[in-house]
Amino acid sequence: MDDLYIAVVCSSNMNRSMEAHAFLVKKGFKVKSFGTGEKVKLPGASADRPNCYEFGIPYDDIYNDLLEKDKSYYTQNGLLHMLDRNRRIKPSPEKFQVSTERFDVIITCEERVYDQVIEWFGSRRSVYNQPVHVINIDIQDNHEEATIGAFLISDMVTKMAQTDDLDNDIDELLHDFEGKCHRPILNCIMFY
Amino acid sequence: MSSKFHQASNVTAQNQLIQWINEAGMSEAGKKAGLLRKIVEYLLHSASQMIPVYMENILSCVNDKSTDVKKQVITFIEEMSKLHAEYLPKIIGQLRLLVTDDVIAVQKRAIQAASIVYRNTLLWICKGNAELSEMQYVWDNLTQLKLMVLNMIDSDNEGIRTHSIKFLEEVVLLQSPSEGSEDDFSLEDFPSTLPFINRRALEEESEHIFDLLVKFHNSQHISSVNLMACMTTLCLLAKFRPKYMPKVIQALGDLHTTLPPTLSQSQVNSVRKHLKMLLINLIKHPSSNEMMPQLTQLLLDIGMTTQDINKAVPKERRNKRVGELKTGDAPSKRFRVDSPQSNSQGSDSNSNSRSDFAMLEDDSSQIVQKPAVTEDSIYEGLNNVENVVNLVTTTLVNQLPNEMPNSFITAYKPIPNSGTKAQKKHLAKMMLALIKDEKVIPAPEPPQPSLSDLAAKIPLLRDDDEKITLKNAVAKLQESTKADRQMESAVSKLMEETRQDHLKEEERKAKEKEKPIPPPTPTVPKLKQKVKLLKLQEITRPIPKEIKERLMIQAVNRILHAEKEAAIGGAAQIRAKFITIFASSYTPEIRELVLNYILDDPTNRIELAMSWLYEEYAFMQGFNRHPVTLQPKVHEKHDQNYNQLLCALITQISERGDPSMENSKDVLLRKIYSEAPVITGEAVDYLKHLVSEDKVAFLALEILEELCIMRPPRAHKYMASLVCHVLNENEEIRDTTLKSVVKIYQCGTEAVKKAIEKHAMLYLGFISLSSPPQELISSRHHGMRIPWNDEMFRICLNLVMALFPYNEDLIVEVARVYGCAGSDAKRVVLRVVEGPVRAALAAPMPDKDDESELRPAFRALLDECPRGAETLLTRLVHIFTEKSAPSSELVSRVRELYATRVSDVRFLIPVLTGLSKKEILAALPKLIKLNPVVVKEVFNKLLGLQNPNEESPVTPVELMIALHLIDPSKADLKYIIKATALCFGEKQTYTQDILSSVLQRLAEESEIPVLMMRSVLQALTLYPGLGPLVLNILQLLVEKEVWLNKVAWEGWVKCCERLLPQSCFLLVSLPARALHAGACSPALLAALRAHVQGLSTAERALLPAHVTGICLQPPEQQYTPPPGPNPLEPLPPGME
Repeated sequence: MDDLYIAVVCSSNMNRSMEAHAFLVKKGFKVKSFGTGEKVKLPGASADRPNCYEFGIPYDDIYNDLLEKDKSYYTQNGLLHMLDRNRRIKPSPEKFQVSTERFDVIITCEERVYDQVIEWFGSRRSVYNQPVHVINIDIQDNHEEATIGAFLISDMVTKMAQTDDLDNDIDELLHDFEGKCHRPILNCIMFY
Repeated sequence: MSSKFHQASNVTAQNQLIQWINEAGMSEAGKKAGLLRKIVEYLLHSASQMIPVYMENILSCVNDKSTDVKKQVITFIEEMSKLHAEYLPKIIGQLRLLVTDDVIAVQKRAIQAASIVYRNTLLWICKGNAELSEMQYVWDNLTQLKLMVLNMIDSDNEGIRTHSIKFLEEVVLLQSPSEGSEDDFSLEDFPSTLPFINRRALEEESEHIFDLLVKFHNSQHISSVNLMACMTTLCLLAKFRPKYMPKVIQALGDLHTTLPPTLSQSQVNSVRKHLKMLLINLIKHPSSNEMMPQLTQLLLDIGMTTQDINKAVPKERRNKRVGELKTGDAPSKRFRVDSPQSNSQGSDSNSNSRSDFAMLEDDSSQIVQKPAVTEDSIYEGLNNVENVVNLVTTTLVNQLPNEMPNSFITAYKPIPNSGTKAQKKHLAKMMLALIKDEKVIPAPEPPQPSLSDLAAKIPLLRDDDEKITLKNAVAKLQESTKADRQMESAVSKLMEETRQDHLKEEERKAKEKEKPIPPPTPTVPKLKQKVKLLKLQEITRPIPKEIKERLMIQAVNRILHAEKEAAIGGAAQIRAKFITIFASSYTPEIRELVLNYILDDPTNRIELAMSWLYEEYAFMQGFNRHPVTLQPKVHEKHDQNYNQLLCALITQISERGDPSMENSKDVLLRKIYSEAPVITGEAVDYLKHLVSEDKVAFLALEILEELCIMRPPRAHKYMASLVCHVLNENEEIRDTTLKSVVKIYQCGTEAVKKAIEKHAMLYLGFISLSSPPQELISSRHHGMRIPWNDEMFRICLNLVMALFPYNEDLIVEVARVYGCAGSDAKRVVLRVVEGPVRAALAAPMPDKDDESELRPAFRALLDECPRGAETLLTRLVHIFTEKSAPSSELVSRVRELYATRVSDVRFLIPVLTGLSKKEILAALPKLIKLNPVVVKEVFNKLLGLQNPNEESPVTPVELMIALHLIDPSKADLKYIIKATALCFGEKQTYTQDILSSVLQRLAEESEIPVLMMRSVLQALTLYPGLGPLVLNILQLLVEKEVWLNKVAWEGWVKCCERLLPQSCFLLVSLPARALHAGACSPALLAALRAHVQGLSTAERALLPAHVTGICLQPPEQQYTPPPGPNPLEPLPPGME
């Protein structure tokens, strides 16, 4: 199979998708990452007051904003570190629903995100009839789980890249993978 | 100017293109694809006027080897169809070729492109600018292409199937009338003027393709990805072509109740989620308006709440629906209520219920106004008297048959609690069931039809699922509720377990929603199951278990008997694999079949048996899992299967009387035992049993030995079966076993050693029992009481003695048991132990060079000295000292023991030479009291006669003196006499010199030792040359007034007599009293007289008066002694 074009999608294109993005890029995959939420949401000073940004605002800006707001707090909870990592990977968080690219595989990190992705596909008509596999692996939205999740995703993508005919093997591949990672996997095929 | 510029750029573009094309022709695949992409881009977007020139260059790459290059060509074709449709006649042929390419990736890309090309072609044809022949050519090609893709829906490759589904979706969409939906292209847009296009035919074709898609969608073995692609396609079609909506909704409903059984749990989840998403999508679309009730019902079934559904429905339509309800539009309401039936496209069977319901609707209108009929709503209706009266009268007038049906007569029972709340509830429930077309009245139970009868009733529908057949089948099946239930169970058995759970869960949830009070009565089958029953797929699937099993057995039989064919065809391995799977995973019948097959010719089929064994082992250990569908049958005992199989193989092979097998029997048994993954307890027991069979006893022993050696981790378990044969009555078996055990003991693990030692100890312990244990009594004497005999003791000791050379510590145990054993046993032990101990001593100690050091085992034994084992210890110490002098350590330990535990002086004998002089002398009185043989030995030791290397701490002189000095109160005189006699007997040792020094020393003693004179006499007898010395001694004694000691005096007198005449001067020197006493001996007197007479007068004058006096006494007064020694006096010992 020639180069797979992969999208990793989470809610805010901050933690889980970026962790996996970073990891997959290091492994030499062709990958992009996205968020499906309305806004980019980051934990704020209290649970009911998150920091919200529009998609498209550079990571750098968000970084500086938080730095200004409360440097020690956001250093301590790791947000600044994460943003720093993110701005080295790409300029700004991207919203999945506005992307015009066509991927071979879309990996989502949460069932709600998966729902949003397939809903998006369901709401439009396919023009190119090009299939895309949408796969969900549940990853909790914290740093440790994101790291583990990135490993899992990398494992899975590596297997996908190794097969000659992904369309034919995906069922079995995911079934095996599910047995290995002990997380429920959702998947379906959609068309661009 | 501009045109000039244009021309110039044209030239450069052309040059560029030519350069690329040339380059592409030379470069390898990856680069070529890149270049081709550039060329295509450039040609299409910047240099379209040059397309006719260079098109061929690109299209010729269709035959390139590289996948990427071919894909580029497809992209080119796709783009061309869109941007430059006029070239379609040139490119369509290439596309057709590519759709049937060898490479799957290319094929998929081509199919993908085909749907786009198809649409573009139609648009192009519609424009009608081209020549008719060209259009026809393209159309024909497309039609062929369409057929090709249509067939690809059965492809082996999942991706190709997915792509062809998508292509067919496009075809259906394009070839069906749009019915006013605002789509871009539809059947209506097809030009009607062209001769080769027949709208009607095209529409029919699209219908056909749609049916095909539905069929594919509902097939049992569809993969999850295909299924989801298909669902998406169907929903899309339903959206844009509302005429398909009912069929699509039904197909989705069917799917919901019967998902393909091949899906895994997470795939099921994915599919359900997908289904939900699609349905919500549909419900949002305006074209679904008509089918709203069914959609809502389906969504409810899936588990959505009414609120969620309402949220999903667009606002304006929600209002519209409420309006509809308010106007009391009957059809829409009816849909709501009996929607479960209308889902299954209104079959004959529910027309009744509909009329029932219509009637009910008139009577109790409040029920109908509820969005759904529930048990509660009916119950409320029943509380209204008017309603009830209406209901009864209408029924009486319209519904009552003229004659009472038989079933009613049998089933009717007076209602005991009529009018109570409970009865009303029950009635409400029955009515609800009736409304939903359930059988309410329980038919009298007919005898249970067997499964095969039932199978006959199941109509086996073929692929062309004709609805009429289905309807008939359903009607037939509904004749008996009993059959229904059987059917249901047959169906449900085949459902995947997990799925079943899932369904139940959903059912339960749905029920909870519908009925707050859950009082299910057994007579009313549940609604859900009823609906399920009507599904074609489920009715057609199950073959009755019996038939299935028979077929299975026949199939296995065929495979079993195709050994040669399989070998010829090169499928021998696969066949073996098959057989093992069949045998291990299916019914007991198949197991038996395979087992018998193997046993028919075990020599050649042993490999098969082994692989089966391994398969069973894998199941037993949980390495393998049974496929889910097979699990319930064999689940509870599959850990026994392995053991059963192993034992069956072993027993059957060894007990089969087939003479041709005699030779291979041992090879086979050996193979099984050595290669089986694990040997179970039973299998080992069987070997143990085989030892008692004459023919195979030694084989069994050998196998046991091999087992122990080859399978060290469990050897200690196998050991028990081997080691017990050291007690076997057959000597040969005993010896063989003993050898094996010793061999295993030498090379075995710690656990094995422990096990062997345990047995050795056990058997050793037997000897201390009062009567021989069961193990020792052979089967012949079973139950009889047999006394011990030496042989039995010996057998018991066999093992421990055999092990002794390898583990000397065992001696401690032996000693312990010895301590409590009876005297017979002790005797045998003493005898038996000798050999091994000697052997052990002869062998060098493994880690120490110093020979003189005591072996650790013996050291331990001496330390412990078990009670009662003193004799054994003595014996052992004895053996230790046989060859070499006792080491100082041994001596000190023996000494210690002697002081504290063992009072027997014999214990000291072996180490005598190691003791100090003082100790020896102290022990001497006891030693001489022993049995003469022992005493002799003791003296040999002390005198260094036994072992010339041993240096005795006592010199012969000292020994002799010590003997003389023994206190007579401690030892009887006769023992001392005997002891001295022994000494005198050793003439080599007690030479004249030695004796002289002994005598001299004795004489120096202040007290005259009792036996001194006796020894003097004896010495004199032995060595007459001692005369002068003796005279000296006598002289000394005179000075000590020897006459006062009677015994000594007698001896003195005898000595004098012996030494006459030289001794006369002694007589002379005696005082008078002594002389008188001495004169009692006539010989002395005579000698004295002669002596005196022979003296000169001067000398005589010097004599004391009493001497002369005695000499002058008249001789006649005196007794005349005979000449020579007195014959009456006994000769001293040693004189004979």
